[in-house]
Formats: sequence, C-alpha cells, structure tokens
Amino acid sequence: MKYELVSGFETHVELATATKIFCGCTTAFGGSPNTHCCPVCTGQPGALPVLNRRVVEFGIRAGLALNCKINTVTHLDRKNYCYPDLPKAYQISQYDKPLCEHGWVELESGKRIGITRIHIEEDAGKLVHERGVTYIDYNRGGVPLIEIVSEPDISSPEEAREYVEKLQLIMRYIGVSDCKMQEGSMRCDVNISLRVHGSDELGTRTEIKNMNSLSFIERAMEYEYSRQAEILDAGKKVEQCTMRFDEHTGETYVMRTKEDAQDYRYFPEPDILTVVIPESKVKAISDSLPELPLAKLRRYITELGVNEHNARLMYRYAKVCRFFEEAIAEGASAKHCSNLITGAVFSALATEEDKEQFSVSLSSKEFAKLVRLIDDGKINFTLAQMTLSRMLADGGNVDDYLTAADLAGVDEGELERLCAEAVANNPRAVADFKAGKEKAISALYGYIKRATQGKADIKKADEIIKKLIN
Amino acid sequence: MITTEEIKALARLAKLQFDDARCEEFSKEFEEIVAFAGEINSSVVGGTSEIREIGGREIALSDLRADEVEPSLSAEKITSNVEAENGCFTVRRVVK
Ligand SMILES: [Zn+2]
Repeated sequence: MKYELVSGFETHVELATATKIFCGCTTAFGGSPNTHCCPVCTGQPGALPVLNRRVVEFGIRAGLALNCKINTVTHLDRKNYCYPDLPKAYQISQYDKPLCEHGWVELESGKRIGITRIHIEEDAGKLVHERGVTYIDYNRGGVPLIEIVSEPDISSPEEAREYVEKLQLIMRYIGVSDCKMQEGSMRCDVNISLRVHGSDELGTRTEIKNMNSLSFIERAMEYEYSRQAEILDAGKKVEQCTMRFDEHTGETYVMRTKEDAQDYRYFPEPDILTVVIPESKVKAISDSLPELPLAKLRRYITELGVNEHNARLMYRYAKVCRFFEEAIAEGASAKHCSNLITGAVFSALATEEDKEQFSVSLSSKEFAKLVRLIDDGKINFTLAQMTLSRMLADGGNVDDYLTAADLAGVDEGELERLCAEAVANNPRAVADFKAGKEKAISALYGYIKRATQGKADIKKADEIIKKLIN
Repeated sequence: MITTEEIKALARLAKLQFDDARCEEFSKEFEEIVAFAGEINSSVVGGTSEIREIGGREIALSDLRADEVEPSLSAEKITSNVEAENGCFTVRRVVK
C-alpha cells in the first residue's frame, strides 16, 4: 500500500457515578423522559452547577491508569454551541487546563498509543426527530463524561480495535465506567489522514463522529482510507470535514465542511471554582489502582502458566479474574482452575453480560476444593467438569455430589483389566494407531470413560494401553 | 476595527439575523461594547487567568459535592414553562 494510515481517537466515556456532574440527579440509564432532571441539568435561569467530587476522582483514576500526569490545579470552561441537546447553549468542559495530560496506552506489540489529554465534561441530552418535531429528553444531559484524546499514533483498523478494547478493559478494571458501546456509555470520534509511506508530512484529516461499535469503527476506517487514497491518487486534495458513518451502506458521508467549522468561543466557567487537588490524594488514588489488564494477562501466562487461550478468555472479565485468583489462593492449581472456568463455568454463562456480572451459585472456596481433588489425583478432569456443571445448575457443595466411591477413583487392577478389554474390543483402532494414526487411540479412551462413568484417570489408562499395544 | 464579516460570523453563532444596513450600524455599536470590556479588563490587570484568581476563587477537592442522589423534579414540573409533549421538550425539527 502506497499510503500509511494516520489516526487519532477522541473517546467519550460515561463515568459510573451515582449522580450527574453538576447536580444530584441520578445517572441511571433510561427512565421516562425528563424524570432524571432538575433546574441545574435543564439549564433553568439562576440555577448553579456544583461539581461532583467523584467525577474528579474518577478522572484522576482514569488518568493514572493511562499513565498521565495529573494537573493538580484544574478548572472548567464553557464550550459554546447552540443546539437543543444542550439546554444552556453551552457545555461545561475543560479547555486549557485538562485534568490529565501526556499518557499512553500500551498495545500487546509493545507499541504505545499516546494520550494527549483527558478532560471531564457533561453529556448532552437525547434528541428524537419525528415528522416536523424534535423531542428532547435531558435525562442523559449532565451525566459525567471523560474525553480521552489520543495522539495520531494509530496506523490500522486492527490497532484501532485493540486500542479501544484496551481502553474499555482498563476503565472497567478500575471501576470508573462499564463502557457499554451499545448503550452509548463509550463512543469514539475517529480522525483519519493518509500520508505517503516514509513521509513526515501529515495529510489533511477528516473526522468521523460518534462511532459506537468496534466493527463499525473498523469498517468506517477502511472505507475512509480507500476514499482518501482515491482522492490523493487522482492528484486532488482531501477536504477537511466532519463525517458520519452510515451503518447500512458502510460509507462515510460529509456532515459539515471546514467552512462551517464550529467556533466554540471557550472561556473560563465563572460558576465553578478552580479545583485544587492535593498531591497526597493523587498518590492515594494511584496506590488504590488494581493490577491492569495487560499486566494481568502477562502474569497469568508467564507466572501462573495458564495457557494463552484461557488467559485471554478470562482476563476480559474483572470478576472472573477475582474468582480465579481466590481459588488459586486456596491452593488450587492455576491450570485446572483456568480449564474449568473457561470450560464448565463459561458454558453456564452464555452471554458477555453474564460473564461480566459473574453471578454464580458457587463460592471460590468450594470451587478450589473441587480443583484440589483433581490436583491430588482423587478424581479426573471429566468427573470434575461434570460435577461442576451440576453444582452451577443446582447449587450445593462438592460433598453433596461426590461420594466416597467417586473419590476412591478406579483401582489399578480394575483399570488394567478394563484397558486390556478396550484393546481386545477395538482391533481396528489399535491397528490404525499402530499404522501411525495417533488419534485412533481416542476410541479406547472413550471405552474406558464409558466403562467407569468418567472416573478413570485417562493419563494412567493411556500408559497402560500403550504398554499393552507395544 | 471589527469587520462586517466578523459581525456576520458572530451573528450566525448567536443565531441572530442582521441585514447589511444593520450590520454596518452594529459594527459601530460593537466597537463601543468591546472598548468598554477592554476598560474593565485594564482595571483588573492581565487576562483571564488573573480574573479567575480574584479573591482566591479556588476550592479543595475534598470540599466538592459528595456523590449522593437527590430527588429530581417530575417531567410535568420540568416542562411546565415550555412547549412539551409526553414529557419531552419539543422544538421545530432541527435536522432535515
Ligand atoms: Zn439535575
């Protein structure tokens, strides 16, 4: 490809506070129109905003998790624009003194995507256009947001996806947002320009507004790349503009051009005092940060020896990780814990939401007890998996499901007898195995499993069978 | 001297409609308004950052509002002084 993609993201993340940024109204999602509103968040004359402390604290938390420097003296500014989703005709945001600056997000390749700044601001209301009327619901108006502005360090749709996914995970880990793109609690504006490979010169950029799905982001970036490449190939110039992505056609279209670019006439918000944050508070928030996703993933793989596939399945869900780590602390092996969690436990948790919520009728302690039985060779993995599925469905403890006979396993003499039987009854599988078809031997495992209701130690059976065959 | 072009741009941002004659007239008035603002500025010394600091206009993080829900108003009350329908504020359609 002749051109290199150069992309930066502005990501809006709704903060999981109980109340709005400047008033005590709830931030709960939904609700009948204008029932989560008061004079402040509907911009009634004379109403005064009072800044929510947790918004600043969550902003600092997000900043520290993204390796930012925190501006301990910070203030808010008015961003003026006239549109009915903003009742005051301005948005209270931050302009020249954002809460956080100069951070980065690390991708798995080790590449860092720079974070220019993070600022706090208020969300706008929701508009519904029907016939000749626009209906306005201000329930979402005044819900706190952070806007995370990246450097133009993203060079492919794949990197964009990873960047957004990493942000999403980090925000969830540190508990500042649920980042649900489909509910709009995370949305991205995507800046894109092209430059000839090896050139330092940045091209003219376009901005695609308000993307709320990872696959749409990728598709929009691909479309916009080809669109701009075509213009440049024809020797023409890309026009700076703001665009939208049409989900149905998969194309971007121009919303406004540079001529009618907004002039926001920012000025300091006179109704809110400059906030002074003690260094000790920043330190306390920093100390309270949990292990972050990428560090956790790497630790699971390198220190705990979890296979990469399982580690990736688990690390996406903070609560799953907590359950796993608690079980390990109880002395259960990481290998069997992770196999059972990504096996039987995840089968019982069908949706993303289920895994995120992780409400299972099983304590990590009881789970660890079950895993230790495998670790100690008392039961095999298959039986453990079956028992676990039943425990997840019906509740109860390990002891309710496993009898003394189960725990006794299959005695060695009996196992040898069954192995000999398996070999005698499966001549074709044995012949295939001898001819080099390694997989043929699984027919014999199946025979043993059936004969012992899954109680036999297949590893041991494997040794005996191979001895018999050779 | 403020140009009529600048006046037009500001009028557009402020959603005001001026014809050319009014624009001409207003640019003179605007000069006076800006001059007056300048007078205030000069008596305060410096630009906006100084204005911000007058009287120690600062607040410690710990003195900000606690994140505790307070009752909201009803949709009827909120929309009692405006055009509304089914609890929603209504305006003439803003998109095509
Ligand atoms: Zn309110």
